[in-house]
Amino acid sequence: MTHEEVVAEVIRLVKPHAEGRVANITADTGLTGELALDSLKVMDLITDVEDHYEISVPLNTLADIKTVGQLATLIQTHVGKKA
Amino acid sequence: MKENPRLRAVREVRGELASLGVDPFGIQIDEILSPTEGLIQGRKTILAGTNNYLGLTFDPDCIAAARQALESAGTGTTGSRMANGSYAAHRELELDLARFYGKRDAIVFSTGYQANLGMISALAGPGDTVMIDADSHASIYDGCNLSGANTIRFRHNDPDDLAKRMRRLGDEAANALIVVEGVYSMLGDRAPLREFVEVKKQFGATLLVDEAHSMGVLGAKGQGLCEELGLLDDIDYVVGTFSKSLGNTGGFCVGDADEMEVLRYASRPYVFTASLPPATIAATRMALRKLEAASDLRQRIRENAARLHAGLAALGFRLGAPANAVVAVLAGEKVEALRFWHHLLKQGVYVNVMVPPATPGNESLLRCSVSAAHTPEQIDAICAAFASWPARESVMATAPTALER
Repeated sequence: MTHEEVVAEVIRLVKPHAEGRVANITADTGLTGELALDSLKVMDLITDVEDHYEISVPLNTLADIKTVGQLATLIQTHVGKKA
Repeated sequence: MKENPRLRAVREVRGELASLGVDPFGIQIDEILSPTEGLIQGRKTILAGTNNYLGLTFDPDCIAAARQALESAGTGTTGSRMANGSYAAHRELELDLARFYGKRDAIVFSTGYQANLGMISALAGPGDTVMIDADSHASIYDGCNLSGANTIRFRHNDPDDLAKRMRRLGDEAANALIVVEGVYSMLGDRAPLREFVEVKKQFGATLLVDEAHSMGVLGAKGQGLCEELGLLDDIDYVVGTFSKSLGNTGGFCVGDADEMEVLRYASRPYVFTASLPPATIAATRMALRKLEAASDLRQRIRENAARLHAGLAALGFRLGAPANAVVAVLAGEKVEALRFWHHLLKQGVYVNVMVPPATPGNESLLRCSVSAAHTPEQIDAICAAFASWPARESVMATAPTALER
C-alpha cells in the first residue's frame, strides 16, 4: 500500500474523533494541534487504526507522532513488520 | 519571570473555572466533622465524594492504634525502607495483608498510586508488553510509561477485544502483563473478571488486578471482586490501596509468584520513596482487622448504594453502572456539569465532578462515592440536592450518548 493510501485511511478514521473541526484534513494536519484531539481521542484513534490494519501500535511509540502523515508512516512500518 | 508554555493549557482551564466562579479541583474542607460531614465554605456539607467506603477514618480503635504508634515510634521514618531500614511494623503489615488474601507475600508502598507505578514498572520493561483496559486509572498509564514497555490498550471491559490484541502479539503474548481493575473509579462499573481470567489462561499471560475501589466493599471477607467471583487463585497480583476502605494512605500488592521476594528491589517507587510513618501503619493494620470483620458495614454500603442509585434513577438521571459504592451521574457537557456541581455544593452536598478527557466517552460525570457511614437520611438529602437542580431535564436526554453507543 502507498503512503497516500494510508494517509487517506487515517483521514477517514480520524474524522469521527475530530468532530468536524477541520474541513480539509491532509497529511500535514496536526492531530493534537489543528484537530485538537485530546489524549483520550488519540488513543481511541490508535485502537481503530490497530483494528483496521490488524497491527499493534504501542502507545509508547507515539511520542513523536504529531501529524496525520507521521501516523501513516508509523502504520506502514508496523504493516511492513507483519508482512 | 517568563511563562512556562507547558503550563499554558492548565492556566487556561483554571481561568475558565475562575470565570464560572467554581473550583471543584481546589476544594477545601475547612473542618472535617465525621466520615460523612465537613464544613465547606461555612456550610455543613454531606461528603459524598471521598471514597471513605467503610467510614473508618474516625474509628476509635484505629485512632488509638495510631496514637500509640505515634508516641512509641515517632512521627516519621525519615527515609526509604531499602536505604534507611524498615520498622518491624512495615513487615507485620505485609504479613497481615498476605494472610488476609491467602497469598504468599505482600509489598507495601507509600501510596496506592505508587503501588501501580511500582508493580508495573518492576514486572515489565523495554521490549515487554503490557495490555491495559482503556479506562485504566492514571497510575496504570503512568506505571506503563515508567516501565518503558510496549503498552497496548484494549476496549474497556471487553475480553474478546483483549484476546484479539493478544493474538496479534504472536509468541510475545505469553510474556504479556494484563492489567485490569475490579471496579472502575469513574463509572463504578465492574470488570468481567472471569472472562479476563480465561483470556489470561488461554495465552499463558500474567494478570494484575487493581482492587482499589472494591476492597472492603465486595466479597464476603471484603477482599474485592476477585473474592466475590471466587477467582483469587487465578490472579497473579492483586494491587490495592489504604486510602479508601482502610481510611488511611498507602498501597500494596499481594501475590503468590516467586518474584514477590525480589520485586521490591526492582521497583523504583519502592526504593526511592520514604516509607509510611508508624501511625499510618498501625491504623492501617487495625483497619484491616476491622475490614475483615465488617460484613455488617458491607451490608450497609450495599443498602446505601442501592438507595442512592434507586433514588437518582427514579429522578430520571442516567447512571454509569448498576448500583455500587461508586454512583456516577452522567452530566452532559463540561460547563453545565460544573454549574450542576456548584449547585450541589451550595445545597450542602459534596460530590466529585469529572470532565473529559478524564472521563470515558465525551460526557462529564458527577461522581458520588457511598459510605457505610452515610445515614439513610443523608442519602435522601443527596438525592434531594440532585432533584433541586433547575436544569436537570437537560442531562436526562433520551438520545444515546457517546457513552451508551
